[in-house]
Amino acid sequence: MLASITRRLERARTVLSRATLVPLLVRGGIAVSLMLAVLVSWPASVVTSELVVPLLAVAAYPAIAPRGRGVTAAILLVVAGWVVDTTWEDARIALWRVLALATLLYLGHTLAALAAVLPYDAVVSVDVVATWLGRAGAVVLISAVLTVVALGLADELSGSAFVIATLVGLAGAVGATMLLTRLLHRTGN
Amino acid sequence: MSGEPLLRAAVPPVEEGSAEDAWTGPAWVPTRALGRTVLLTGLLLVAGVALGRVDLVLLAAPFAIGGALALRRMPRSAPQVTIDADEEHLVEGGSVDGGLTVANPDVIRYDLVVVRTRTSPWLELEKADRPFAVTVPVDGWTGIDLPGDALRWGRHDVGPAAARVAACAGLLACRPVVTPARGVRVYPVTEPFAAVEAMPAAAGLVGNHRSRRPGEGGELAGVRPFAPGDRLRRIDWRVSLRTRDLHVAATLSDRDAEVLLLLDVLGEAGTSGGVKGTASVLDTTVRAAAAIAEHYLKRGDRVSLLEYGAAARRLRPATGRRQYLTVLEWLLDVRADVSDQAPTEHVFGAHHVSSDALVVVLTPLVDPRSADMLASLTQSGRYTVAVDTLPAGAAPPQRSPWTPLATRLWRIERDNVLGRLREHGVPVVTWAGAGSLDLVLRDVARLASAPRGR
Repeated sequence: MLASITRRLERARTVLSRATLVPLLVRGGIAVSLMLAVLVSWPASVVTSELVVPLLAVAAYPAIAPRGRGVTAAILLVVAGWVVDTTWEDARIALWRVLALATLLYLGHTLAALAAVLPYDAVVSVDVVATWLGRAGAVVLISAVLTVVALGLADELSGSAFVIATLVGLAGAVGATMLLTRLLHRTGN
Repeated sequence: MSGEPLLRAAVPPVEEGSAEDAWTGPAWVPTRALGRTVLLTGLLLVAGVALGRVDLVLLAAPFAIGGALALRRMPRSAPQVTIDADEEHLVEGGSVDGGLTVANPDVIRYDLVVVRTRTSPWLELEKADRPFAVTVPVDGWTGIDLPGDALRWGRHDVGPAAARVAACAGLLACRPVVTPARGVRVYPVTEPFAAVEAMPAAAGLVGNHRSRRPGEGGELAGVRPFAPGDRLRRIDWRVSLRTRDLHVAATLSDRDAEVLLLLDVLGEAGTSGGVKGTASVLDTTVRAAAAIAEHYLKRGDRVSLLEYGAAARRLRPATGRRQYLTVLEWLLDVRADVSDQAPTEHVFGAHHVSSDALVVVLTPLVDPRSADMLASLTQSGRYTVAVDTLPAGAAPPQRSPWTPLATRLWRIERDNVLGRLREHGVPVVTWAGAGSLDLVLRDVARLASAPRGR
């Protein structure tokens, strides 16, 4: 037991001494994105209470282990908070909150994808991070436009939001299935 | 029975499909990020539909859009990694220019290529212990420079290098592509060495050493009366005028000699700290052998090398700059012999060593077999000089409180062996660079001038 703790401490010390700046910044980015997402999504009553500490811990965990399932868990936690806030607390679906959540969740996800393949002690070329963030920015921009248009449309067609959600959701589900099928087809070759 | 002999092809037939099996395509595997993308997109869309919530669908939008953008073009081939290393003559302590090149033959850009390489501990390459993360454009390449220093002689490897690629925004990753190592030859630095003393026996037809036989040469042996057959230009006019009789200057002929460098590789002792640090037995052996060979080859002598160990590698005697380069190349493969197999007698028998050769034995005199070999060489009448290559502070690792005492006893015993060797007429000298061998060569030359035979 003691030996294993010593080994872990030794390993942590090695990791800290060898770590380079860019992978650390990427991991910091994951933690910040997901923690902000938690603060935005959960009801104000929870955020101001002591309950926020474990929530923030779960949100920060993917920064330490970006290869694990912690990222999915943290994102689902954020979504759960959003559903709780808008259903039980009956908060208004504000545009800025949806925009911020979509952006932060995607940033957390894509930075975790980068951190998962980027060793903590790597000598990183600036191109890598610039390209990655550039693509993430483009995706965020497109989805922000979509969000603004869709929420505006939903406000105008108030009452028929359910139909729009159904249609968009079905289209998305079909798209996702096709994506998965195509991928499996390619990797199976 | 048709009566015809059954013939079959001497070459084994190519199995069907083996060519296809040999070419296994690049293995692109989905990462956990792809699984997460699909899961979150599906889950949020289904929840949006079930709860009738547009906002949940909009939360799924970046994941779906990001996934679709990233996967619109799929990678098909694996990256190509090449290792570049210096081909030129490198001397330990000199600088090495290593490098890695990652090429992208694919139709999409590689977002992230993580390249790792291993290098020999004796090549101090900058940041070579860290992975490098780079991007590689479509149909292009990215180079990584690894400048550094070579710390010790020998054949050192740069590599193997492995590259792992993440494409499509990290949704797909390639299995590591490994490139075999590339060898770098680092030649030993030769300590300045000069021996001014005569060779004990110069045997060839031409060369730089004055022999003990009269003949055409530069070294004056004396003046003697003119005899039929003497060249006119040899007449010493001053003596002839004084004595009123023709006298000629007699000279000693110039001969070359053979030098055999016998390298004792039965054991390694001491810690090698590279060119700037402490020298181990093999370091001293190789550097001294290179220096001695360089010196005698420059003087036009024939130099041969022999390993005293189970492998018994041998380099034939030859002369000139070409032989010097061969010697350096041969020295790169000197390794400590760790096998228990004894060096066979017929390889190291005195009959294999030319009777006129000067045998310089580079030995730490740790193994008793080395002392026996030296004694037998001397007994057979070879001109033998032993160079002690054991580092001054060499001692076994401390294993018990008795270790220092045991080491002291061993040192005393070794001194005893050295003394007995000297009694048998084997001069033993500690290697100290220039002029190391002068004193002992003088002794050996004096011994050689005495009548032989026992």
